[in-house]
Amino acid sequence: MVARRETSISQLRRGVLEFCVLALLRDGERYGVELVRTLGEADGLVTTEGTLYPLLGRLRREGLVETTWRESPSGPPRRYYRLTSEGDEALRTFSRDWARFRTSVDGLLETGPTP
Amino acid sequence: MTPPTLHPLAAAYLARLRTASRDLPSPRRDELVAEIEDHLAAVIPPDATDAQVLTELDRLGEPAEIVEAERPEPGWATPAPTLAATAAEPPPRRGAQEWVAIVLLLIGGFAWGVGWFIGALMLWTSRAWTLRDKLIGTLIIPGGLALTWLVLFAPWVISTPRKCGSVDGHETCTGGMSINHTLFVVLLVASFIAPFVTATYLAIRAGRTERAGRTATAAPATN
Repeated sequence: MVARRETSISQLRRGVLEFCVLALLRDGERYGVELVRTLGEADGLVTTEGTLYPLLGRLRREGLVETTWRESPSGPPRRYYRLTSEGDEALRTFSRDWARFRTSVDGLLETGPTP
Repeated sequence: MTPPTLHPLAAAYLARLRTASRDLPSPRRDELVAEIEDHLAAVIPPDATDAQVLTELDRLGEPAEIVEAERPEPGWATPAPTLAATAAEPPPRRGAQEWVAIVLLLIGGFAWGVGWFIGALMLWTSRAWTLRDKLIGTLIIPGGLALTWLVLFAPWVISTPRKCGSVDGHETCTGGMSINHTLFVVLLVASFIAPFVTATYLAIRAGRTERAGRTATAAPATN
């Protein structure tokens, strides 16, 4: 049972993680490493930062984000991520669905079914 | 590849990542390794201590975990329909061979039976079906619709003239429809429907294998 609970939490986490990435890009482009670091520092969201790179690659292939290389004042060029219009649309849809989902789950967890 | 400024521990980590990711398609593998390398270069200051480097490597996670994250998760459906629509479609397992096999099994028998045998051959050589699927595809019904046709116009059904005569006051008939008429119609309808049911079944099963294959095998570029 414990293993199963862990699995469902990690699945839930993985399911929402890509939208967390999209949400971080809502206000403009961000450097990939900075993006990964921010997500890595959010409590309980990511256990290993390295696994975010495969996720970013997937989002790019799905056309939800796009990247540009920018010169860095120190060191090699940096890859910056930003939302595409499809990514923006996906984020909006998810935000709406998530609000309803969260309200329902919270309601059930705190008070049980509403009469 | 590795800039000389990279800490030896970080360089060793990258080497392990390269080994762990050798099964990934090479463009994606190079990209992933380059990204992790950039990450390490960005988060590890040039004068970092071993402890600092190890902390950063811990945060990144094991190379095997990172490679594992490249693979589509079983049971992790793409959450929003918008994502499914924009995702690049992988080459389907239910390809031309499977469709041709299904069609030939259904109607190939009309080409002097040869078409059906070609269909059966394609069925058995395809990897999209299990042994059970292949047995069903072959046995229900051998020859496909052509067999139904054959049964319908088989000489024993239509060519034997019906002879009736009176023997000792009882009328007896020979020839003609030699088996129970209702049973014959039921069998005929069943043998007409069964090939279509099998064809639909095979099409669905090939689609299922396609999805299972996508999650079970390493196909990182597909999701």
